[in-house]
Amino acid sequence: MSFSRRNFLIATGVAAASTTVLSACSSDDKGATDKNVPSVGKAKTMNIPVGTKADSTGPAPEVAGAVKGGTLYSLDQFDMDHMDPAQIYVATEGAITRPILRGLTGYKVDDKGGCTLVGDVATDAGTMKNGGKTWSFTIKDGIKWEDGSDLSMDDVRHTFERLFASFVTEGPRYVQQWLVGGDKYKGPYDGKHIDSLEVSGNTITFNLTEPRADFNYTLAMPGYGLVNKKQDTKEKYDKRPFALGPYRIGSRDIGKSLTYVRNDHWDPKTDPIRNAYPDKYVFQFGFELVASTDRYIADKGNDQYAMSIFNEVAPERVAQVMTNATLKKRVLTQVDTVCYYWPINTTRIKDVKIRQAINYAWPHQQIQTINGGPATNEIATTLLSPVTPGYEKFDLYGVDKKPGGDPVKAKALLKEANAIGHKLVIAYQQSDTQVKVAVAIKNALEAAGFQVVNKQVDKSTFYSQIGKLDNGFDLMAAGWSPDWPNGYSVFYPCWDGKNIGDGRSNYAQLNDPSINKAIEAASKIADVEQANKAWGAVDRQIMELAPVVPDYNKIRNWMYGSKVGNVVYDPGNTCVALCKMYAKK
Amino acid sequence: MLRFLVRRILGALVILLVISAVTFWLFYAIPRDPAMMSCGKNCTPDMLKQVRHNLGIDHPVPVQYWYWLKGIFVGRSYGDFGDCAAPCLGYSFANREPVLGTIMNRLPLTLSLAFGSAVVFVIFGVGAGMIAAVKQGKWQDKLASSGSLVASSLQIYFVGYIAMYFLVAKLGILDNPSYTPLTDNPAEWASGLLLPWLVLALIWTANYTRMSRSQLVETLSEDYVRTARAKGLSRRTVFFRFAWRGAMGPIVTIFGIDLATLIGGAIITESVFSLQGVGRLALKAVDQSDLPMVLGVTLLSAGAIVVFNIIVDAVYALIDPRIRLA
Repeated sequence: MSFSRRNFLIATGVAAASTTVLSACSSDDKGATDKNVPSVGKAKTMNIPVGTKADSTGPAPEVAGAVKGGTLYSLDQFDMDHMDPAQIYVATEGAITRPILRGLTGYKVDDKGGCTLVGDVATDAGTMKNGGKTWSFTIKDGIKWEDGSDLSMDDVRHTFERLFASFVTEGPRYVQQWLVGGDKYKGPYDGKHIDSLEVSGNTITFNLTEPRADFNYTLAMPGYGLVNKKQDTKEKYDKRPFALGPYRIGSRDIGKSLTYVRNDHWDPKTDPIRNAYPDKYVFQFGFELVASTDRYIADKGNDQYAMSIFNEVAPERVAQVMTNATLKKRVLTQVDTVCYYWPINTTRIKDVKIRQAINYAWPHQQIQTINGGPATNEIATTLLSPVTPGYEKFDLYGVDKKPGGDPVKAKALLKEANAIGHKLVIAYQQSDTQVKVAVAIKNALEAAGFQVVNKQVDKSTFYSQIGKLDNGFDLMAAGWSPDWPNGYSVFYPCWDGKNIGDGRSNYAQLNDPSINKAIEAASKIADVEQANKAWGAVDRQIMELAPVVPDYNKIRNWMYGSKVGNVVYDPGNTCVALCKMYAKK
Repeated sequence: MLRFLVRRILGALVILLVISAVTFWLFYAIPRDPAMMSCGKNCTPDMLKQVRHNLGIDHPVPVQYWYWLKGIFVGRSYGDFGDCAAPCLGYSFANREPVLGTIMNRLPLTLSLAFGSAVVFVIFGVGAGMIAAVKQGKWQDKLASSGSLVASSLQIYFVGYIAMYFLVAKLGILDNPSYTPLTDNPAEWASGLLLPWLVLALIWTANYTRMSRSQLVETLSEDYVRTARAKGLSRRTVFFRFAWRGAMGPIVTIFGIDLATLIGGAIITESVFSLQGVGRLALKAVDQSDLPMVLGVTLLSAGAIVVFNIIVDAVYALIDPRIRLA
């Protein structure tokens, strides 16, 4: 999932009270905290293979000990910005809508923490032809909307055609870019269809402009959830999407609460992904991190049946929770797929030695501390997170040995480049944490012989400003998380020369022919294992050119009430697996 | 009286018009782009243009303001987003709802919070101030004075969390703060808001204790009070009939402004107790650069202050016979 404003808010919010955390961690609990904090080093790469046709058949595997009935609650800070699948991009919104929305493919979480790509409403995870330029999906029988009407092929076609409508501005844009004729198509509302989507019987075929061996993974994004054509109210659909999953919206009070009740027309035999144990979900919004954590700690009344999608353990409470064995039992800890990093503008800093000097001088440890310490983030040396398939551990700039930076080595490189006193303009988003981070960076880089100018940029215009080609910045705070579990959706949007341009995500403006070639070659590899190896190599190849400083990988800690059963992580949707939980009796 | 009210209401409308215009212009003076906030991560220049059009911010600012103003009287259409009936205060693209509807949805909680806590802090604050004034120099006075000094130094974000921890989480004496409409279940309404009322009142009571004490002490030394005592009226009669009424003027003034401020949104209180009232709505609107919502909440706050000022002026005449409305 690409890095969004909300991800940033969550990340900076989590880190906002870092000083408190630090003082807590550095007190007499230090030893215990260090022993108990999760570690990126221990995180397992989340390989998600493609399942068979049998895997795509419902019902979802039973969760041992799970019981049906009851109500699950949530204590969360934010309501969703969007519920129209076409507008959904962030993982948390995808997670909340999983119980009501379904797509052609989806991720099936098993009881051992594994995950498989399966057909959701499709009979399997799709059939590829022409080396990945043509993909077909056949729809299962008996799939019904919340009003009892059948899911039709018209609905399926309409779902993908409406992605081209002008009101769709926030969801993923892969399908729009790859469908043949997508550059000219304006959406279905004037009665026209796009020719590259072919419907025959119960099968829909996508004709793409380029080979996409992982297209079935792309379609598992929540942004490609299916939409009922007859109920499509365009912009207004965002407020009240029509359900195809085991639940439907019972009530919604935007910004305050959202209730899901059972969709009586859902047939578990058609659904390999969702268990649907509770009778009802009540999402409650407006809880700051401290408030929700305190309520989980107190564990009273309905809060015993509560969990969070957005809210993690508040930084102020991390030490208290993670060092208390009883409380820690009620925390789901997971290394995230997002990598926070600082792209270096390669059009302004062309000498690789200067870029490498920045990497050597970087104050990783100080930044880790400012961002909440090792319980909430761990130093990164690669662009792929340790949990993303393709991850290969390497450390080209000696971060493991000198996490506080190596100003001597950096200065020596600067001297070689004849660039002592080189001026760097650093852009970062307005926030208390980022101000502290920027000061730490300035101090470290100046100790290595750079001259640093820090520029604080308003958060609402930050990405438009760093996304401009002529932005005047040398270093910029950014981050990225893969949209599906492989390296393509990390490296192509952010490091391929084709993605240099105003509003694009290649902030470093890296246009290296060997990198572009390597990305193209890796994206054509159909064999998952081989492709992952290739993505790992791309990561190293990019880091050798040092167009970026990888900063940290996020560690997420979700707390929940004592009567919520089977709180597990959904590696495909990179969030809590809502459809696997149950309310204990 | 009628003439007074008409004149003040017309004045209030002019004030609200000026406030709305100033807010509108100030909003565009700050370097934030609401379209960027809505455009998502893969925003291209074309998409940004489309979002600006969807948000209705692709017109010059005076034109946008005129459309907004017109909407209050004749309603407004937002194309595919829907219609907004008069009085339309705009359409929040962040909430995807007409502004007025959202505010009206949050207002009952805020009103409950404001009036509930006001009842507590006025009764306790003025009561303690009266006792302190009557028992001037005695332990009751010292207790009320020093107590109010301590209470007024406290902050809601401190007392609130402490109270939550002990009274809710640790001892379980009170319920988690929540809001149930009064008409649905009066008992749940009161029990859900009891803690916020008490905490809010603790902080605000101090002001009223100090103010009512000093006003009463001053009034009790006025000539007309001494004259009344000299004429043989009982202490009780003099206190409640003359001194108390005379001292209430400034307290009523401050009370009107305080209540209006609370109705405009007790941002910190609502945040501490995770309540979704007007205050948090305002906070979110500012964070999201949601101009229509910012305008709506600003007008509500300004309107509350203006209305309560008129009420206070009218109440003056009832409390203090020396004042006549002109």
